[in-house]
Amino acid sequence: MAESIKLAYFMAVKEGASYLGGLLVTDTSGIPLDFRYTEPITPTRLQSILYGKSLEPHLKEEVIQKTLLKELKTPPDLFILSATELAGGWSGDAKYPVLAVQKSQESPLGRVGEVFRAGPREVLIQLADGAAPLRAIFAASVDPAAQEQAVVKLVEAGYHMDLTEPLERVTAALQSLVVKEA
Amino acid sequence: MFGRMKDAMADAAETLRQAFAGLKVVQVEAEPFALGLQAAPLLLAEPRAGLQVPEAPLRILQLLREAAQGRNMESFQAKVEGEAGWANWGAEAEVVRMEPLESGRATRMAVPPLPRKVQALGRHEPLAPPATRRAAESLARPALRRADPTLPAGLALAGLDTMLSLAVPIQAENTQHLPKGMWMRYSLQLVRGTGENVRNLEVLGLFRIPRKGVADLRHDPKQGRILVRLEAAALKAPRAPFILARRKDDGGLVSCFVEDP
Repeated sequence: MAESIKLAYFMAVKEGASYLGGLLVTDTSGIPLDFRYTEPITPTRLQSILYGKSLEPHLKEEVIQKTLLKELKTPPDLFILSATELAGGWSGDAKYPVLAVQKSQESPLGRVGEVFRAGPREVLIQLADGAAPLRAIFAASVDPAAQEQAVVKLVEAGYHMDLTEPLERVTAALQSLVVKEA
Repeated sequence: MFGRMKDAMADAAETLRQAFAGLKVVQVEAEPFALGLQAAPLLLAEPRAGLQVPEAPLRILQLLREAAQGRNMESFQAKVEGEAGWANWGAEAEVVRMEPLESGRATRMAVPPLPRKVQALGRHEPLAPPATRRAAESLARPALRRADPTLPAGLALAGLDTMLSLAVPIQAENTQHLPKGMWMRYSLQLVRGTGENVRNLEVLGLFRIPRKGVADLRHDPKQGRILVRLEAAALKAPRAPFILARRKDDGGLVSCFVEDP
């Protein structure tokens, strides 16, 4: 059951004047199943002026993210990104529940698997005994029913892996790729 | 209307009074014109010394001869001329006799009406609107160019090899949640696999890792996890429970895959 869950971790970084993104698909143990990344995209000066402040969100959501998702052979069960990206107004994709996960400083909820709804789009999930619960923040496009289904998958995957760690791996991989091309 | 007529008459009377005020009218009788007598000088013979060429007498004789022949002679016409102005010469002024004003002889004069509106002179004339002139040459139509703002989609590349070069952390399962019988089975397999006494082993964790393709494995005691470096073969290999233990006597690590029941 747990083996069928696929988690997609998306991260886009800016290196100098270039943007590149990576998408890592893992199983519930955190073992990579697929990893795709984009070539660095360097906007021209004219494009930077014309897009203004919308350049970075547009690049990350419309260009990099969609390019990477097209390359996936099988759709992921959850689309996870950093809380910073989600707070920037991520629109999300209806096909995949989009959410951000981060470690919290809250007190343990009690038993493993307990869920506390902290807001319409935010839940706390207890994944390990005695540890601080995991905070999951859903995109605005994810309805409550989809959130409930996503929480079940998070609990199942969190039993085997650290759900926040793969984002660090994606960032490290992108940085190593930038160094290689430089 | 009558008031204006009255004023006009008064003005005319005043004008006439001032024109003739102080003038002395003298009537002078004309004197007969008398011609004065004038005496002509007597002809004198001027004696000259020596013999001279008689030029003048010859010219005179020539004239007399032509006159006798009827040439170059002008006929005289008698004419009496008089000057009437002499009669008024010496008078102080010309005598002007005005006909006395009589009632009924006055002719009616049309007095021009005063203008109702006085024309103001010297006023500023309004500024004439400037004449519009067309520029000589119209600007040339600029060439239209297109700068495509579309951001390139970029090429998605496969980077699984890069990702596999990074260590993958794998969390230990909580053995407290395992059924006791299953855990005893796992312990037995650990003793058999490692050949160690079960009392000399300290179990560090139960992990589910690929049965093949694990290139490197390190234990992270702080977080209770292992860091594995995988090869491509690990991606398709089945996951199997893996027990990591430490020998109590020398601290060495031992491990073995165990079979799920």
